[in-house]
Amino acid sequence: MECRELTNRAIDRLVGEATAAEREDFDRHVADCPGCAAALSGIEETWAALGSDPDAVVTPEFRSRTIALLSDEVDRRRIREFRPRSRALQYLSRAAALLVAAAAGFAVARGGLRPARPGAATSAIAGGAAARTAPDLAENPRLSNVAYRTDPDGRVGIEFDSTTRHSVVGRPDDPEVSTLLAYLLSRNSETAGEKSRAIELVSGRYGAGAGAASPEIVRALAATLKHDRNPGVRKKAAEALASFRSTPEIRTALLEALANDPNPGVRLVAVEALAASAREAPDAKTIQSLREKAVDPSENGFVRARAASALKAIDL
Amino acid sequence: MAGGLIDDRVLLERIRGGDASGAEELFERYAPALLRFASRMLSDRETAEEVTQEVFVKVISRAHQYDGRAAVSSWLFAIAANACRDRRRRDHRASVVPLEAVAELPARGEGVEARLDGRQRRDAVRRALQGLSEEQREALVLARYHELPYSEIAGILGISVGAVKTRIFRAVETLKARFSEGETRWNVVN
Repeated sequence: MECRELTNRAIDRLVGEATAAEREDFDRHVADCPGCAAALSGIEETWAALGSDPDAVVTPEFRSRTIALLSDEVDRRRIREFRPRSRALQYLSRAAALLVAAAAGFAVARGGLRPARPGAATSAIAGGAAARTAPDLAENPRLSNVAYRTDPDGRVGIEFDSTTRHSVVGRPDDPEVSTLLAYLLSRNSETAGEKSRAIELVSGRYGAGAGAASPEIVRALAATLKHDRNPGVRKKAAEALASFRSTPEIRTALLEALANDPNPGVRLVAVEALAASAREAPDAKTIQSLREKAVDPSENGFVRARAASALKAIDL
Repeated sequence: MAGGLIDDRVLLERIRGGDASGAEELFERYAPALLRFASRMLSDRETAEEVTQEVFVKVISRAHQYDGRAAVSSWLFAIAANACRDRRRRDHRASVVPLEAVAELPARGEGVEARLDGRQRRDAVRRALQGLSEEQREALVLARYHELPYSEIAGILGISVGAVKTRIFRAVETLKARFSEGETRWNVVN
């Protein structure tokens, strides 16, 4: 060993990377070289001094806060899986449906298939013997055994029991369908599961710019976001609103959730949705709220960080 | 950092499957080490906590990207090192950690003078660490405080073993010079 190798060799020894032969060689050299012995002492003191830097410890508060955040994040990723199909997929499925219809028409024209009886075109989605209209919702009926179906043409089928089995089929923007969906969202869902299924359907049908949600559906989701006791349901409502084309009503609901919702996962969805909306059309109130969140010391660290990074991405 | 009863990879599988208990168990295993790492790499405890949270959130979103070539612990440290670098680039606030922000065990039986002396020394060590370049500090912290071998540090930082040794060498040389300067001043003052 040579003197110029001292620091490297000493560090190898301190971190346990030196072999037995290297250690022996090192010790022999240091024993015979007073300069290296003095230098080694300085290195060892430095290494030991580093040990006086105290370790940060995980506090119970940090632990519980983070575990809640992680649980929310896992939930949030599960919800994402229910998001509507991409535009490309929607176009593809529509094109496929057209091809199937054209092929069926060709087959019928060639006499290979008998035409279906009138009205049966809806039978794949509508229930067979069910009533085809909704009951009078003004009477606040309890709708049970609710089932949702969709078809590639974008129609929605909603089946449920009230006094009899009902099946309502139509496009999401049909007034009867959207009124029924808003009713199911706001007044009929007694369990978190029922409400979540209704939100998923609404999100899938109107989200990602697929179509404008009716004001009554937006109101129902906003009310769910504000009042539902289940944070998972509130988060789904926030996700659904976030997937719609932004409107002043949706922004107001999300701003309120950002300011008042006790769950950081819900606030995180609100931050992201508001940031996306502000990137498209900067809105003074939204930007102010994001600024406040970015510097609020009592806010969850992750929400705060997202608000700060969202502000940076907005062209102010 | 051995996994324990359930393999770390099984926990990642659980996370991929949408099971929050996998994330919770991974947090219990690795949060203490990652928080210690982040607190030495960043400006304050609060930021270190935020980055530690960020690491676990990233693990949830990237669990499917883990390819099994490195240990899960190394993968976590690599995410943490990148997150710390990103945070430092974003946040150019003070580079010195206020020591009161670092949780400490109470010093039993120490006199005021000894406590003051200890605190001053800890403060000096933290300042000296913060004075190192980010690259040197990463390598030194992983070797000194996490006792990781050179090869693992190289994998975490994405550099060669030779580069790891060079960074630690330079860090130790710098610290040695700083501490000897401080010692001289200390002796003059007292």
